[in-house]
Amino acid sequence: MPYHEFECSTCIPERKKHAVVKGPGETLADALPLGYLNTIPGTISERGCAYCGAKHVIGTPMKDVIHISHGPVGCTYDTWQTKRYISDNDNFQLKYTFATDVKEKHIVFGAEKLLKQNIIEAFKAHPDIKRMTIYQTCATALIGDDIDAIAQEVMEELPDVDIFVCNSPGFAGPSQSGGHHKINIAWIKNKVGTVEPEITSDYVINYVGEYNIQGDQEVMQDFFKRMGIQILSTFTGNGSYDDLRAMHKAHLNVLECARSAEYICNELRVKYGIPRLDIDGFGFEPLGNSLRKVGLFFGIEDRAQKIIDEETARWKPELDWYKARLTGKKVCLWPGGSKLWHWAHVIHDEMGLDVVSVYTKFGHQGDMEKGIARCEQGALAIDDPNELEGLEAMNRLQPDIIFTGKRPGEVAKKIRVPYLNAHAYHNGPWKGWEGWVRFARDIYNGIYSPIHELSKLDISKDEIPTDKGFKTARMISDADLPEAVRNDPNLRRYTGKYDMVAELRERTYPEFARQGAQEAAA
Amino acid sequence: MSDLKTERIEQMLDYIMKKCLWQFHSRAWDRRDQNQGILSKTTQLLCDEHVALETPADRCYWVDAVCLAEAFRERLPWLAGMSVPEIKDLMQGLHERLDYLTIDGSLNEELTDQMY
Repeated sequence: MPYHEFECSTCIPERKKHAVVKGPGETLADALPLGYLNTIPGTISERGCAYCGAKHVIGTPMKDVIHISHGPVGCTYDTWQTKRYISDNDNFQLKYTFATDVKEKHIVFGAEKLLKQNIIEAFKAHPDIKRMTIYQTCATALIGDDIDAIAQEVMEELPDVDIFVCNSPGFAGPSQSGGHHKINIAWIKNKVGTVEPEITSDYVINYVGEYNIQGDQEVMQDFFKRMGIQILSTFTGNGSYDDLRAMHKAHLNVLECARSAEYICNELRVKYGIPRLDIDGFGFEPLGNSLRKVGLFFGIEDRAQKIIDEETARWKPELDWYKARLTGKKVCLWPGGSKLWHWAHVIHDEMGLDVVSVYTKFGHQGDMEKGIARCEQGALAIDDPNELEGLEAMNRLQPDIIFTGKRPGEVAKKIRVPYLNAHAYHNGPWKGWEGWVRFARDIYNGIYSPIHELSKLDISKDEIPTDKGFKTARMISDADLPEAVRNDPNLRRYTGKYDMVAELRERTYPEFARQGAQEAAA
Repeated sequence: MSDLKTERIEQMLDYIMKKCLWQFHSRAWDRRDQNQGILSKTTQLLCDEHVALETPADRCYWVDAVCLAEAFRERLPWLAGMSVPEIKDLMQGLHERLDYLTIDGSLNEELTDQMY
């Protein structure tokens, strides 16, 4: 696996050890990109900061909480539009965002008084919300405001409120990943074990590292409820603050995004003896295996199998319609962290896509190990790329589409490469069987969008054909398909609804008798 | 090691690397526990031996072992023709190779961090 040097980065020799090509017969022990290091001076990284990782990735998906940034108002930018972690309480945590609006005078004279005034004002403005998280920022960390002391003061004055303080300023790590770590550890240290939950099932899990992007958590919750499993807490998408204080009472931690949340699982394992089971919620086979594993752990694998059979029968013909039209299309899989390995193998196996490159902005070497192990030979693996490297890679690899974030995605568009938003999705949720078909549909619509045909023409030099009509996506995608596939009666396009999450919220679930009750009756 | 044994180990390894996540925990000691816990139980299952499930951690290893043993049986038809000592020898070789790739020969510099 030779290291790959970008032409645009020859002036930054340290970058050479951050990219490798997966060669034939080579292993992870031959070459592995460096990762989770401070950004090299001279390279313009696309990473977020440690404050962003703590607040905008992990903290804010908690739904019944006032999330307040103690710092300049700009730090709290990511709410509507940039984040799509919805919730079933009318998206309170997305609709309202709070900052203490620290100005120059506060930097000079201190901002603790301002913080206290903001906390009380926010609780008064939202009398139904009794929980708050406060996030330190670079400015207030540097001036040394004692946020914990102020929070304690308020909790003494307002005994019905509870406040969590996260001290993770932007500079507290090389990237947002540093913030993931800090908030994981702060939560288990300060909040887990402070609420005793009501246990309603024999099978109790924490669902960890799941952020309810466009409803992913609610899709998975539906499966677990159909299996009679109690989700004690979700860390943190659509999760409730007090449920997360009770994480210590679960029987099993089901871990989805190990990159952002393995820390709390590891600590729960050490401190409370709760085992950690890593799962994949994306793709038919990985999701089926994951539910089966959870079922096996509790001895209820038959319930998992029932779901797998029903969902596969319902959605496989639709996935295969897209697979027939996506096979052989080249993809740059360029997400932030975990989707690099959640998707690398399964979009190849189940949708026929060829992953020509994987990258991670803030992943660690462990994420690269997983991603490289799962992608096919020849793929270019890049750690923390800069914009020029991204452009060079796209020009060399000529992908049909890239899956990435908004910033690099907009860059890709400029060179006529369509992109899907790997962080916030296009028309998600993308988890679950139906969600996976929605993902395939979004990929299909991205690759075959008629607008890309038009955008490839340069009106300053190309001849614009006026004798040809507009081509629909179907005309483009089916042009070279064999007749038998094009009109296969067993395949069909996505037939689900525009909003698949609303129905899940109305669903009722079977009652499963508890073992204790059965034993008493016997 | 014979070519055939090496080839078979590589086939098993290919499945683990592509489809599993348990071998990539973030610290060396953790990976060693995972590899040992899951592969030893997989070996017991493939050899129709008793698997001890005394702790929640045991049960967690066993869950991954059940899935792995099933996948091996389904995808590797030559397993059915092997004797118990042959399976144990093969699984031992797989364990050593996996330990090398994920721990002893790994280039992951975080594996030896003392803290999570």
